[in-house]
This record gives sequence, structure tokens and C-alpha cells, in this order.
Amino acid sequence: MNERVEKLYVLYFLVLGLVTLGFGMADFIVTASGSEYTSALLMIPNDGFRGGWGGLVMIFAGIFYLSGLKGAGEIHQSGKVVMGSILIWVMAGTDIFGMIAESIPGGEEGWFNTGKVFWGTYAPPYAPAIFLLPFSLIVIFYVHRYYRKPKTLKKA
Amino acid sequence: MGLTVDQRWGLIEKISEKTVRFGTYQHTLTDAIGDLTVRPSTGIPVAIAVLYGFWSIFGSFAGTLFTDGFLCRIFDEHWLPWMQSVFPGGLGNWFYAIMVDAGHLQNGVLTASDNSFESFGVLTSGLFVPFGVVLPAIFIFYLMLALLEDVGYMPRLAVLIDTLLHKIGLHGYAIVPTILGLGCNVPAVVSTRILETRKQRFIMMALVATFIPCGAQIGIMQDVIPESIGFVMLYLFIGYFVMGYILNKVIPGRAPEILMDVPPYRKPMLKNISRKVWIRTSGFLKVAVPFVLLGCLIINVLYLVGTIDWLGNVFAPVFEGWFGVPRETAGPLVAAFLRKDLAVAQLSAIHMTKYQMISSVVLVSIYFPCVATFAMILKESWKALLGSLVVLVIAAFGWGGLLHLIWKLMGVA
Repeated sequence: MNERVEKLYVLYFLVLGLVTLGFGMADFIVTASGSEYTSALLMIPNDGFRGGWGGLVMIFAGIFYLSGLKGAGEIHQSGKVVMGSILIWVMAGTDIFGMIAESIPGGEEGWFNTGKVFWGTYAPPYAPAIFLLPFSLIVIFYVHRYYRKPKTLKKA
Repeated sequence: MGLTVDQRWGLIEKISEKTVRFGTYQHTLTDAIGDLTVRPSTGIPVAIAVLYGFWSIFGSFAGTLFTDGFLCRIFDEHWLPWMQSVFPGGLGNWFYAIMVDAGHLQNGVLTASDNSFESFGVLTSGLFVPFGVVLPAIFIFYLMLALLEDVGYMPRLAVLIDTLLHKIGLHGYAIVPTILGLGCNVPAVVSTRILETRKQRFIMMALVATFIPCGAQIGIMQDVIPESIGFVMLYLFIGYFVMGYILNKVIPGRAPEILMDVPPYRKPMLKNISRKVWIRTSGFLKVAVPFVLLGCLIINVLYLVGTIDWLGNVFAPVFEGWFGVPRETAGPLVAAFLRKDLAVAQLSAIHMTKYQMISSVVLVSIYFPCVATFAMILKESWKALLGSLVVLVIAAFGWGGLLHLIWKLMGVA
């Protein structure tokens, strides 16, 4: 990794780490206060499981990103950044799976939801992790670029 | 003709030349991630995230999608009304009550049940519980477990939790029966054989039988007390460690250290996962379905002949005074011996406060192992069974009574 790329890498994951940490703390605080936050795009439910436990996972993801920045490029430090993204994928993946599970059954209306209700389930507002998902995927490019051919053995 | 020692060594050398590469090992990113999941400072946050993902998927798949989304509807709106219309006898008939619907009193009038949780017939609740609630829960539980095993996360979780489990006389491998127990206590009891000493096996069996609710029970709890399930699990989890700590101090014997081989992370294989899920799920159904059907039958007969009411009256002072739950919970507690999931479903039909409901569900979990687990512990050792029974009596009175005390201190009991 050259110096310019390293600076860009540090800056990118610094911002992503801080935003992730901020979202995690917001999740936690909103849930702890017993209220919920909903805007046109963002939603933090008053749910001990998603907000409390999930908020904690988001905080950990932010900490992983930030703690992986010192000595960028070193394999263990890169591992922490990758782990930060994996935690966001766990959160966003479960949120998306929850949406899918909700969108299929029709409830009172019939066996399956109508097309309008089905697609409506996927409309905003979204949980914080879903917003962070596309930004966390950058780590795949990074791993592919720098760790594509891991040489497990070198001739002695 | 046998090989000489020299020929044997020659053969070994030839094979190793072709299969083993010698050189310096370079750490890969996968190794680095593997290290992160084992080291406590980073591994514990990862474990918290993995368990979050596990239970989130479990709830969405088993609860929202299958049970609430389709299966409740199939059983409540189609199967139950159909059985009520075609089965001979009708409300008030003893055979109809056992097989289809015992009904309930509403303003002094015997009224038909409108859902399969409350009907309690062998052919209604007896089929709804294993197929409508438990099957999706067990399927997704075993699927996620097989995935974690195949990826290589489970040995890391075992290493991570090793220090903590040593405090209760166990070691990292005890995570296997613990997590299996969250699916079904029966294979969990069998898997205690991976522990080295009698002391460890006994502690593990007692804890599995007492403080680990099975997947079937968790599935029903998800439907009956969705907002309190986290608290119930936390309370049982704390009980697991408190009782384990006490047992470790009281029971003589060794609790040796272990050396654990941690494999690298690997891509999961569909064939492995599908085979594991099939073996475990079909094994569970073979045990569960006959027991649920038989359980419904026996409980209904006990209700009809008045045994449950008699037990309720005999144990009323204990239920109401010590545990703070209504005397009607005697029935579900008897049912819990046959099937704990059935017992929790029965509790949902009893009128009580949210706190009494939590206490009742906790009691169902800790008061007695279901008959299948009971038989399995007996098969392992009758001494272990007797010991487990002593432990669970102490646990039920201690832990159940403590919960009542907490509610009293909070002013809600």
C-alpha cells in the first residue's frame, strides 16, 4: 500500500468508524430512554433486542474500525477493519432478513402480501446498519486488492 | 508380506515429499481474523454479535415468517374449525375433549376454543405444537448451528469461554452440550460424554436439565411472551453460572484442563450442513411428536379425572405463597414433565399478570427435565439422575423463590 492509498484508507475507515460508533450509541441511548426515533429515512426502534443488543454490536463495529487504523496495512490491523465490516453485515443482514420475513405473509388480507404491500416493506425508513452496509462493502475491494493471493508458504 | 522398518520409513518419506510443503509460514488475513475471534478483548464482542445474528434470524424465520405468518393461520383458521366440525361428540363429550377441544368456561358457558394453543386436543394442539411451532424453530436453530460448526466458529467459542467455564468446574467443550441443549436437551445429555470426569459430566447434566430451555420451549416462549423472553433467558443464564459455581464447590472430583485444536476458518459445505440439519431435525421429530401426542392425551385424562385440580389444591400454598403464581399453574407443571413446550403453551391460557407469567415460565424451565431428557440421564447413570433431581429441587425452590422476592421488592407481586 503506497502512502497516498494508506492516507485515503485511514481517512475512509476513520469516518466510517466514527459514524458507526455514533449510530451504535444513538441506538443504545434511544432504546435506553424508552422512546423511538423515526424520520423519513432513518428509524431507531424502541426495542431492547435490536436497539440494546444490536446497538452494542454497532458500537463494537465502530471500535473495530477505529482500533484497526493504527499501523494500517499490517495484517492483524486489517483483520480488525474487516471484522468491523463483518459486524455491520451481521446487523444489516439480520435487518434485511427481518424485512423479507415480514414482507411475505399476508396477515389478515390473505395468505401472501399484495405486490404493493410487499414492496412497501422495503421502503424507508431503514435501521442504521442498512445505511452503513454499502459503505462497509468497500472492505471487500480492499481485501481483494491487497490480500487476493495469500501465500501461505514461502520456500525457506 | 510385511514391510521392514527401513522400507516403512522410506515410504513415509516418499509420501511426505509429495504431500507436505516445507518452508516458513506466512500469516494470512483469515488467520488474523481467526486470532481476533479467540482473543477475549476482540473475541467477546464478536461472540456477542454472532449470538445476536443467531437469535435475530431465529426469531424472524421461526416466529414472523413461519409460525405467525402461515402456520398459526393454517391451524387456527382451517385445521381447528374443520376438526371441530367433523369430529363426533362435540363440546362436553369426554372423547371429543381429549382429541379435539376441551373448551373453556366463558360467563359460565362452555365455549369452543378459537386457537390451537388453547384447544389442547391430541389432534389439534398435539399437532400444532410440534409442526406449527417447534419444527420451524428447531430447523433454523440446527441450520445456524451447523453453519457455525462448519465455518469453524464453534471451537473458537469454546476457547473463548474456556476460562469462564473453568469457574464452574467445566471447560470450553462444555459449550457443545450447552448450545445443543438450546435445541434439544436429549442430544445435549448424550454430548456430555465429551467431558473427561464424572464430576464434569454430572455438573453439565444437572445444568442442562435445569437451566437450559430447549428450542421447542424457546419457540413457544417467542409466541407467548415475546417481550419478556430476553429477561427469562438472562435469568436462566445467570442461574446456570450461579448453580454451576455452587456445584463445583460442593461436588468432589477433578476438573482438568484441556488442549484444544482450533481448525482454520473454512467455507461451509452444503452437503455437510444439510446432512447435519436432517439428522438432528428428523431425530428431534422422532422423539418429540410421539411425546407431544402422548403428553396431550395424558394431561387431558388427568384433567378429566380431576388429578390436576387435586394437585393444584395440594400444592396451592407452595405455588401461591413461595412462587407467587396462581394455583392453576399446577396443571402446566405436571405437563412440563411430558413436554415443556406444551406446558408453556398451557400457561398462555391461564389468566395472570406479566410477572406471574415470567415466574411460571422460569419455573417450567427449571422445575423438572422433560421425560425424554429424564430417560436419557437415567441411561447415562442413575446416580446422575438422582443427583440432578436434588439439584433441580434446590434450584426450583431457590431460583423460583428468588424471582418472587425480586417482584415483591419491585412492588409488582
